Amino acid sequence: MKKILLAALMATLSACGTVQQPVNTNSASTSPMKFPCLSYSLSCGEIPVRKPVKKPLSGELSGNSEEGRNIAFTKTRGNCLACHRMKGGTQPGSRGPDLTSYGNLGRSDAETFALVYDMRWRSPDTLMPPMGTNEILTEQEIRDVVAFLQSSK
Amino acid sequence: MLSLSSSLRNRGRIMKILTLIAVTALHAISYPALAETDFNTHPRFDIDPKLGVAGDFSGTYKYWKDTQAIEQFASIQTNSDNEWKMNGKNMDIVEDDFHPGHLAVDEGEKLVNLWEHREAGFKSCLGAGTTTLEGIAANYPMYDAKLGKVLTLEARIEHCAKKVLWQNFKQGSPVNASIALYLKSLSDGLPIQIDVDSGPMKEAYLRGETLFYKRIGQLNFACASCHTPGSIMGNRLRGEVPSTPFGDVSHYPTYRSPVGEVEVLHKRFMRCLKQMRAKPLKPGDPAYVDLEVFYTSMSNGYPIKAPSIR
Ligand code: HEC
Ligand code: HEC
Repeated sequence: MKKILLAALMATLSACGTVQQPVNTNSASTSPMKFPCLSYSLSCGEIPVRKPVKKPLSGELSGNSEEGRNIAFTKTRGNCLACHRMKGGTQPGSRGPDLTSYGNLGRSDAETFALVYDMRWRSPDTLMPPMGTNEILTEQEIRDVVAFLQSSK
Repeated sequence: MLSLSSSLRNRGRIMKILTLIAVTALHAISYPALAETDFNTHPRFDIDPKLGVAGDFSGTYKYWKDTQAIEQFASIQTNSDNEWKMNGKNMDIVEDDFHPGHLAVDEGEKLVNLWEHREAGFKSCLGAGTTTLEGIAANYPMYDAKLGKVLTLEARIEHCAKKVLWQNFKQGSPVNASIALYLKSLSDGLPIQIDVDSGPMKEAYLRGETLFYKRIGQLNFACASCHTPGSIMGNRLRGEVPSTPFGDVSHYPTYRSPVGEVEVLHKRFMRCLKQMRAKPLKPGDPAYVDLEVFYTSMSNGYPIKAPSIR
């Protein structure tokens, strides 16, 4: 019974496309109206927080670490420096763990990718923004950032 | 036409509910361990509204609780890791009779007297019955039984301008802000005292508290993500260090020297919302009023500083 109900729901949903998250092509251009807000009257006031996603890495990482560093340091893009020490970064924030030699930890590309995409599947109450789920960065941008982290030794 | 649009709206609502059920169901299947977490809110802290400012949860109150403490602990301002513990209050004891906040107070006073001269009744409307404006600002926001709603000081000014003067002194406008700052200066040094024990003020407090913990915006932060213990509070976010929300209200509206204008509390809310990449609301928005009640309760007992500079 449950299965049927779920299947029916899925069918309705995919028909009107509400579960699909829009594909992000430019990380800087996302409207705040697509995310929850404090308003009692605007539509954003009723939007729920997007559920955590454990995103698998498909294929090779193929990230550009130069580009990744740029993304990590730029305020309007990843802004990882706001919370992390990072290799070559100045004026870092202090809340998140030190990532200056992340490449020495021996973490897989896939795990790192999934954590940057959305930390919440590992730490539900984390302060780190879900970079992929909330379209802060595109999938390719996250691949670049992961390449930068893995090259930080 | 009407029924069509309302049935469309209902359909939208049903779809929204179905989506929620489906997403929740999917989520429960893929990550059963996370089913306990409410992803829409930041974990809560116990705040006892009866304690007012003394209920500060950051452990920093002792450094800024009065002038004596601020002077005694002046040395922590020189350490960039500890500076946030002063909660900016060191700025309040610097003798500076000439900063432009004072000009805004004068401007506000002139405006009130000028308009009172043109339309007698402006002052008594501002005073909600009394023309003695000294001390009134310390009791805002308040529930106005006649209007049937919770009013901030800025909302009172907007209301009286409309009702008595037929003018639009919109909240967040320079005119409204200078009058608010003038009225606040007439309560300079008086402890903030609002009552959130019962009725509409308690309801507003509880709604404001909920908003404080609500995760919003693209970055998925709540106010609590930067302004509670264990959060980013006390940590460097590149240049800035977020501090405790206790005691914040007492120096608003404040003259913000980097931008050279008087900033009202709701404009400060807007700035934090922009940092969160959340939709900023307009000054006077009902959500801001509730947040202001919650914030003001966290300043209960702390003396007003007006004009102030930040
Ligand atoms: C608002 C602060 C914040 C920002 C911005 C932020 N992080 Fe984090 N990050 C954290 C915190 C806090 C943790 C600790 C994990 C937790 O919350 O459980 C963390 C953990 C991590 C980890 C896991 C480290 C480990 O040893 O397990 C990685 C990798 C990481 N962050 C990468 C990034 C990258 C890349 C960016 C930018 C695209 C970024 N972070 C932006 C706060 C932040
Ligand atoms: C990303 C971190 C962050 C978030 C989230 C955040 N703030 Fe702030 N806030 C700051 C920083 C940094 C400051 C400046 C330092 C300070 O005074 O705490 C600040 C200052 C303030 C001030 C002024 C304090 C003063 O003494 O003048 C108020 C009021 C305030 N925030 C309210 C809020 C509210 C309400 C929310 C939620 C809508 C919020 N903040 C969310 C970082 C944040």
